[in-house]
Amino acid sequence: MKIEESFTVQAPIDRVWEFITDPEQVGPCLPGCEEIEVLGPTTYKARIKVALGPIKTTFKVDVEVTEERPPEFAASVTRGEEGGKASRVSADSTLALKALDESQTEVTYASDVSVVGRLGKFGLGIMKKKAKSMGEEFAAKFRVRVEGDGARAAEASA
Amino acid sequence: MSEMDVIEKQPVTLRVNGNVHELEIAPARTLLDVLRSELRLTGAKRSCNQGVCGACSVLRDGKPVRACISLAFAAEDSEITTIEGLADGNRLSRVQQAFVDAGAVQCGFCMPAMVIAATALLNENPNPGVEEIRHGLGGNICRCSGYVKVVDAILSLTEGSKS
Amino acid sequence: MRYLAPGSLKEALDILRREDDARCIAGGATLVAMMNADLVAVDVLVGLGRIAELSGITETDDEVRIGAMTRHAEIAASPVLTGALGVVRSAAGQIAHPAVRNMGTIGGSICHADPAADFPAALLAADATIEAASAEGTRQIPIGEFFEDYFETALREGEIVTAIRLPRGPAGARGHHVKFSRVDGDYATVSVSAVLVMAGATCSYARIALGSSGPVPIRVTAAEEALVGSPLDQAAIAEAARLLAEAADPVDDVRGTTEYRLMLIPRLLARALNTLKDGETASV
Repeated sequence: MKIEESFTVQAPIDRVWEFITDPEQVGPCLPGCEEIEVLGPTTYKARIKVALGPIKTTFKVDVEVTEERPPEFAASVTRGEEGGKASRVSADSTLALKALDESQTEVTYASDVSVVGRLGKFGLGIMKKKAKSMGEEFAAKFRVRVEGDGARAAEASA
Repeated sequence: MSEMDVIEKQPVTLRVNGNVHELEIAPARTLLDVLRSELRLTGAKRSCNQGVCGACSVLRDGKPVRACISLAFAAEDSEITTIEGLADGNRLSRVQQAFVDAGAVQCGFCMPAMVIAATALLNENPNPGVEEIRHGLGGNICRCSGYVKVVDAILSLTEGSKS
Repeated sequence: MRYLAPGSLKEALDILRREDDARCIAGGATLVAMMNADLVAVDVLVGLGRIAELSGITETDDEVRIGAMTRHAEIAASPVLTGALGVVRSAAGQIAHPAVRNMGTIGGSICHADPAADFPAALLAADATIEAASAEGTRQIPIGEFFEDYFETALREGEIVTAIRLPRGPAGARGHHVKFSRVDGDYATVSVSAVLVMAGATCSYARIALGSSGPVPIRVTAAEEALVGSPLDQAAIAEAARLLAEAADPVDDVRGTTEYRLMLIPRLLARALNTLKDGETASV
């Protein structure tokens, strides 16, 4: 399934880049993200809890950043599992930033996700809608973090 | 899961084809699983296990239900009839006989459930037309796609065919 | 896993209060299928089948009350569901196949809140009220507030849906549910539930709901207003359909693409309205 969304952040492109490529900053914005562990400069692990009605599950994924062109583009590969290996997930993702003006940046992300296993039996249509609503929640939290107090608090503690 | 789960069993009483069975089973087990594995009644088939294909159909208090998506525990207060309960000794039920006479059986996998569905349909409506037969058996899939003679078999039992 | 089969509503509510991870099972058709597919794990299952007070259809002058554990087959055959409530009866008769209609219950169906199911839209068109009980008491939830998201309802932990209450609707009203599915008995690709009153050749009341067109059933007041006062001609139906499609947000999946589903909306709306306009009572 292919997902492509974009949102605008009221911050200069360099600042947005700095935040969005930092797992420690992104993790707390990700809905259901329970843990994020940085393994190296381009690899990290994440544990994300997702509920869809009666189905409640945890995704454990490894993310590897395969390409970076600051402050505009990044590509990553995600591999992982869900529900004690009941499903396998993989995704090829890209992230593109575009400066709309000095203080506004457009963030576009695209992901080609595949799910094999028990969740594959479940309708992909609804999963796609779920991913979209998680994306919207992420954008909202990310904006607050970069634009507002969240950012200052994060910087102070860094 | 690699480790063995500790399965808690609970007592259950099932009435199947006129016999009473006292069993101790794990509560998550389906009626189909218990019929086939515990009672050795293998006429109802496990196929999709999702309630879609109809191959597991049995009668609960005379009405067809899907045994694969019924919990055995939820069947405790009902009388279950499987394909094995339709014949009287070696004498086939009239629906079974009609299926044989019409040559309705191909590979046979879906047949027990087809006969169950047809029996229930005729109990409710003794003289269904072709459309009613098709709707009545709409939930029973035959992957030989041998539906025509199934409809013929059921039609042969209706008033219209006898005149 | 443990299976408990309480004999009364009170006993069931006590179990829900006592047990941390208890889940009610009604007809089982959906939950057991999900358990079989390893999608859902349950610690304690509370079978509601022995609670007599949850089953059956009763009527008063003002409303019809369907017990939550009433099976689809009984609803589809009910002589009480006439007039506006034909919308609920005709929806029930189009759910899956006979064997599934002998298992599934209306309470189980709406609690699962599958957006592709037939009852959610039909109950929205019928202006139902959902009655839910908990150890604290009983509350009434308007149908428009019951469905919250894909598979999510306003039901709180410890609550059980006890009944679906259906007002009789305006005098002379008729209701009908149409669905389009890939094969007989499948979930709807799109469904339309409609309740209408015709004053001569003019529509004087309309309540329309779309199913399988978004996370929850969709009702658009402006679309209904476009129909009221019209003779339900092509122009009025097209305008109502346009407003409904605008509010729809259907998924893209094996049952149809988003575009295809949007194209179905005007066609199914026309089919539902023409059936009702021509004075046919809802047939199953």
